[in-house]
Amino acid sequence: MTAAGGTISMLVGAVVLRLTFTDTYRRYVQPAMGKWLLIAGVALILLGLVTLINALRNVEPEEAHGHDHEHSHSVGVGWLLLAPIAALLLVAPPTLGAYGVNRAGSVKVRPGKAFFKPLHQKAAPVQMKLLEYIERSLEHNGASFHGVPVKLTGFVAGSEAGSFRLARYQIACCAADATPVVMEVVGTSGTPPSDDQWVTVTGTFRPGGGELPRLAATSIVEIPAPEDPYE
Amino acid sequence: METAAVEKSLRSRRDLGIAVVVLVILLAAALRPLLQELLDRPAVAHWATIFVAITIQATPFLVLGVTISAAIAAFVPSGALPKLLPKNPAASVPVAAMAGAALPGCECGSVPIASRLITRGAPAAAALTFLLSAPAINPVVLVATAVAFPNDPKMWVARLVASLLAATAVGLVWARFGRDELLGRARSLHVHEGTKGQVFVGTAQHDLLHAGGFLIVGAATAATLQTVVPRGVLDTVAGADVLSVVALGGLAVIMAICSEADAFIAASLTQFSLTARLAFMVVGPMVDVKLIALQAGTFSSRFAARFAPLTFVAAVAAATLVGWWLL
Repeated sequence: MTAAGGTISMLVGAVVLRLTFTDTYRRYVQPAMGKWLLIAGVALILLGLVTLINALRNVEPEEAHGHDHEHSHSVGVGWLLLAPIAALLLVAPPTLGAYGVNRAGSVKVRPGKAFFKPLHQKAAPVQMKLLEYIERSLEHNGASFHGVPVKLTGFVAGSEAGSFRLARYQIACCAADATPVVMEVVGTSGTPPSDDQWVTVTGTFRPGGGELPRLAATSIVEIPAPEDPYE
Repeated sequence: METAAVEKSLRSRRDLGIAVVVLVILLAAALRPLLQELLDRPAVAHWATIFVAITIQATPFLVLGVTISAAIAAFVPSGALPKLLPKNPAASVPVAAMAGAALPGCECGSVPIASRLITRGAPAAAALTFLLSAPAINPVVLVATAVAFPNDPKMWVARLVASLLAATAVGLVWARFGRDELLGRARSLHVHEGTKGQVFVGTAQHDLLHAGGFLIVGAATAATLQTVVPRGVLDTVAGADVLSVVALGGLAVIMAICSEADAFIAASLTQFSLTARLAFMVVGPMVDVKLIALQAGTFSSRFAARFAPLTFVAAVAAATLVGWWLL
């Protein structure tokens, strides 16, 4: 059943290329994987195309010989490849969200692991990654912040009156190895944003407190999920 | 007459196959609202994202593995491999373990290659050793390990030594006690005939669908385990020395992450000892749920039921020994 096999290969290749060109692949893997996905997608389409042409012209030698091997004609387990294809063509699964934050062990940062130059007051707040914020806050109890306002982007993972947790995943290769970085935003007024809502928070470091590093917010802006959802 | 009948039945089966592809796509399109509703549940969305992520991540490596496998089938004359390798397993197994360093990829690609090597007449023990060592000790993985552990430069050396040790041990055990009939499917694997180009395309297509299908089974299993088993439970065993080594080995089995990424995860598990994290990195490329599915499909489930536990024990033992010696 090589014609069906060729069709499946072409479908897989087409879906991979679509993910690459729409940048949707960044929901699942590291951005650096893009060029490899492109190569793989093209190779799969070529392979499927050649197989399909061979099958339709009936030059496939094993069929001409009329052998009946157990594996040669059946696509068998290869049908399963249609499952992710169907899922991705119809509804691409979202980026990882708040659900996994409480279940995974979060990034453990050792104090003194990184040494940061102190921040200097500028006109605009300093934009930084959540990981850097946490590393800075653990180093000499956040001495390097100097009260300079910072700007952080992440999604909401759980909230109480007056505070919520801001999280973002770190990935090394793909979403299967994602580890969340979590911190607490305090001093919010009104109803906090709902879980999984992406926000950009501006505020200053607030020393002390519980297990999580804290930030006293001066502004919270709800934003759509960024193209590169992982740090 | 008979040939015509065979050809007719083949053609009708082929048409049926295309009909099924079309049907699946139409059905999926009809069920789209249902899928969307399912994805609104956080647990389902989490599962789907991890499932798709593992599949997408593995695709380039699978294509590389399938290409090499097809090239072996098309361009390596049968009988060349047995001549190339030493007859004595005590010599060929360590050679195969070292040869793993030459294949830059992760574990998904090495299964079709090892199975192709066996059909081409390589001794099973040597091919299986290569299967274990290639994803563990190739330069990309070792560099990733060195980058992930900047404060522990011995870590990548320990990973190299422990992985070579485990792969060689399993290969030698297989050479002594292994039964080749367990490799059933790989040995009887159909060899495509025709010109070199046709053999290449036929083999690549076959291996892609075969390995790809079992990869889907493995990705679904890993996504399910990651969704069901919270990683937080590990913190409870972090303190216990022996238990923590086995626990992180077990975590590597259920997480099924790419061998090129596992060093970064290991680095983030700072509540565990270096030896336990070494076990995570030695076990991961050799045994995980995705690999077990691939091996069961490529060789046989009876093979996987023996090979996976053997490899797990060897990997944990090698990591413990090397960790005690080097770290």
